Amino acid sequence: MYMEKYLDVINACRFCFMCRHLSPLGNVTFKEADTPRGRALIMDRFRLDRANMNNSDYIQTIYESPLSAACRFHCVSHYDEAGLMLAGRKDIVEAGLAPEAVKTLAEELKQAQFKVEGAGKVLYYRDPYSDNADAFSGCKVISGGDTGKALEVLGFSADAEAVFKRFKQAVADSGCDTLVCSCPASYDMLKNKLDGVKVLHSSEYIEGRKGSGQVYLLESDYLKNYNNMTSAADMLIRLGYELKPFGTNREESYTAGEAAVVYDKLYPRLAEKLCERIVELADDPGKDILVTASPYTKAVLKKYAPQLKVMLLDEIAVKGV
Amino acid sequence: MSMSNQNYSYEMIRSELTWVVGEEYVQCSDSDKLGHSIDYYWVPELWHDRGKIPTPPDFVVHPATTEQVAEVMKIANNYGIPVTPWGGGSGSQGGALPMYGGIILDMKRMNKVLEIDAVSMTATAEVGINAQHLEWAVEKAGYSTMHFPASIACATLGGFIAHRGTGVLSTKYGKMEDIIMSLEVVTPTGEIINTLPVPRHASGPDLTQMFLGSEGTLGVVTKATLKIHPIPEARKFHAFLFPTMHDAMTAGAKIMTSRLRPCVIRLYDEPETAKLIKKVLGIDKQGAYLVFGFDGPEKMVDLEMEEACKICRASEHEDLGTDMGQAWWDNRYKFFYPPYMFQLPQAFGTLDTVATFSNIEKVYWAMKNTVTENFPQAQFIGHFSHWYEWGCMLYARFIIDTPPEDPREAIALYNKIWDMAIRAAIKEGGVINEHHGVGLKLGRIMKELYGPAFKVLQDVKQVLDPNNIMNPGKMGFKGK
Ligand SMILES: Cc1cc2nc3c(=O)[nH]c(=O)nc-3n(C[C@H](O)[C@H](O)[C@H](O)COP(=O)(O)OP(=O)(O)OC[C@H]3O[C@@H](n4cnc5c(N)ncnc54)[C@H](O)[C@@H]3O)c2cc1C
Ligand code: SF4
Repeated sequence: MYMEKYLDVINACRFCFMCRHLSPLGNVTFKEADTPRGRALIMDRFRLDRANMNNSDYIQTIYESPLSAACRFHCVSHYDEAGLMLAGRKDIVEAGLAPEAVKTLAEELKQAQFKVEGAGKVLYYRDPYSDNADAFSGCKVISGGDTGKALEVLGFSADAEAVFKRFKQAVADSGCDTLVCSCPASYDMLKNKLDGVKVLHSSEYIEGRKGSGQVYLLESDYLKNYNNMTSAADMLIRLGYELKPFGTNREESYTAGEAAVVYDKLYPRLAEKLCERIVELADDPGKDILVTASPYTKAVLKKYAPQLKVMLLDEIAVKGV
Repeated sequence: MSMSNQNYSYEMIRSELTWVVGEEYVQCSDSDKLGHSIDYYWVPELWHDRGKIPTPPDFVVHPATTEQVAEVMKIANNYGIPVTPWGGGSGSQGGALPMYGGIILDMKRMNKVLEIDAVSMTATAEVGINAQHLEWAVEKAGYSTMHFPASIACATLGGFIAHRGTGVLSTKYGKMEDIIMSLEVVTPTGEIINTLPVPRHASGPDLTQMFLGSEGTLGVVTKATLKIHPIPEARKFHAFLFPTMHDAMTAGAKIMTSRLRPCVIRLYDEPETAKLIKKVLGIDKQGAYLVFGFDGPEKMVDLEMEEACKICRASEHEDLGTDMGQAWWDNRYKFFYPPYMFQLPQAFGTLDTVATFSNIEKVYWAMKNTVTENFPQAQFIGHFSHWYEWGCMLYARFIIDTPPEDPREAIALYNKIWDMAIRAAIKEGGVINEHHGVGLKLGRIMKELYGPAFKVLQDVKQVLDPNNIMNPGKMGFKGK
């Protein structure tokens, strides 16, 4: 079982409460099950007796995790609870026990076919949530679906690999030596897997035009907690914006499920709750300009919290506030 | 109770609860039951570890308002169902465990900061708020609760109220019973009451103090007003190493009885200095490590620090300086993260107690000798964490690396150590506990501690909770 590689995490997290305050889902459902401790207890039940994997409540909880790594980032020993969830999902998929909704979505994701359009030396990956074409007008554009990251986080690793291979081939055929993406999830996958091409997040690539005023950055889980990157904040400061701290602290993840890539497709009510917390913590929800590096986060906030003024990092760089 | 969820009566009660708090806030999935059947008490952890199922609740209910809490209490009274309040579940005494099933009243949805009064320096909040979230909100307004327990990220304000909890800076800023100004409480029969708005008065006995430490047996605390403080201009630390714990204790007691006002003093006995101070801070020395800090206006901090250091330098010592003191502060929570914290398969327990300076070392030795002489397989370590004008708290631990595999045998051994060690402490002037509470773990010793006075507590419980639905079987009160 994949989860066996994470026995140290199960042992550490199953009775530990030290990062529960950063558990995005636990903070909105208030369920003990929706914390690293609660999920590790479930995985421990799987470890103790594989028959527990037939428990659909347990499986549902493992899939409802938004996979934020805020807890791992905070943990003094950085136990990889998100990694444990991914391993658990792979075991669940291999046992044929994934929830029906997950299987249906996976089928859809497997259909991705990529095409490259336009001209330029740099290739821009337009992910399914992006609506920011302006910022990349001088680039070739590759689109057609998720790169395999969504399948990977759902536990369909073989299918994820197959989709990724098609993506890789399309990138190779484009002749570009640099690939830029806005989606932090795709960035996280591509920078580790796509060899032979330089992979940049848009915050590392866009020059942008100077601006001014105060903005609040909703830090990306993949950039900050997975990759310890500050490029989004650096870019805003470079462009001349004053960064106001969002909420009460810099540790919580305010991404509405970005790390789970397709979270709102599977769990719209939970995504909505995650958005409600962002509204709750905003200083002045109708007025503040919130900036996110994640097209996913922008899209779900637009859907569930239309009263917020949310801008994508790429957008602010091109248009200003 | 533990009803069968296949039974129609289960559905009847679920429907009623759903009307009060909303469908998505009455949970009874196996995931929810699992998460709420284990708190930070070693016994349910062991039970789970050995593949057994700790007692689950029938329903996990998340109220959003005080009125909803009151309605839930009325339903529970009507059917005679136990109600166990649950905050963060980080209590180490099994206080939040649903011993008889029934309703877990998880308070975390009541998490709003309602008011920050900058004139009186108080904050009012719903008590389901996570203590770190509360601190962050208060800090954003420019103040601090100064309540920094190691479980700040784990526990709720209500849990700390229920256990008379304490934080690292308690020596200056106090425990929960000093921090809290007033409470809103839902009684076991569903009435909403408020205690007096100020904690100092001569308007009868103090109801606020009666609910503080009542561990969910006398009612559900729903709101609290607490003191807040300015962020100090300076906070400085200094550490010393003394040849023995006794030398360090003499210095620490002198600091307190000289009426200096450190925000923290912590003294580690020789075994804990050798074990944990080495592991966490990398200080590899023989002796007893003493650290203290002062905060406030810088000039005052420097002056008090100088006086405290003078006291320490008066006897044989090694001056570890400010860096080794600051390192302790910077890593103060690290002790509690895996793998620094003890964990299964080890058996471990925090035997915390408190006594006067005249008695505290006697209490330490009585506990230590009891543990090491009767249970040679156990190690005993300790530190003194929270200091008063008259004495201090002993945070002792016993650790057994390989407890019996059979869970019943392991629990029997565990209970025996607790019973003997706590009785030894009481004999020398200690009490059952200083800030973790009594819960399920130590209820059986309450009658011995209080003597005839325990009847007063039992009578209060009987009057407030005639149907015995509030957290039955805890704190020495009768079970279902
Ligand atoms: C790593 C770690 C470190 C710790 N360090 C400290 C420390 O430094 N200082 C300290 O004091 N404690 C510490 N503790 C112990 C624990 O955090 C405290 O006992 C805390 O008070 C428990 O709060 P909780 O919200 O988790 O309560 P729970 O464990 O959920 O409940 C504890 C008790 O309070 C009752 N209760 C909860 N909420 C309410 C309410 N609203 N009304 C009435 N009753 C209620 C429950 O029924 C139960 O009896 C530590 C625990 C851990 C896990
Ligand atoms: S990630 Fe670290 S802090 Fe969080 S539960 Fe696991 S061990 Fe505890």
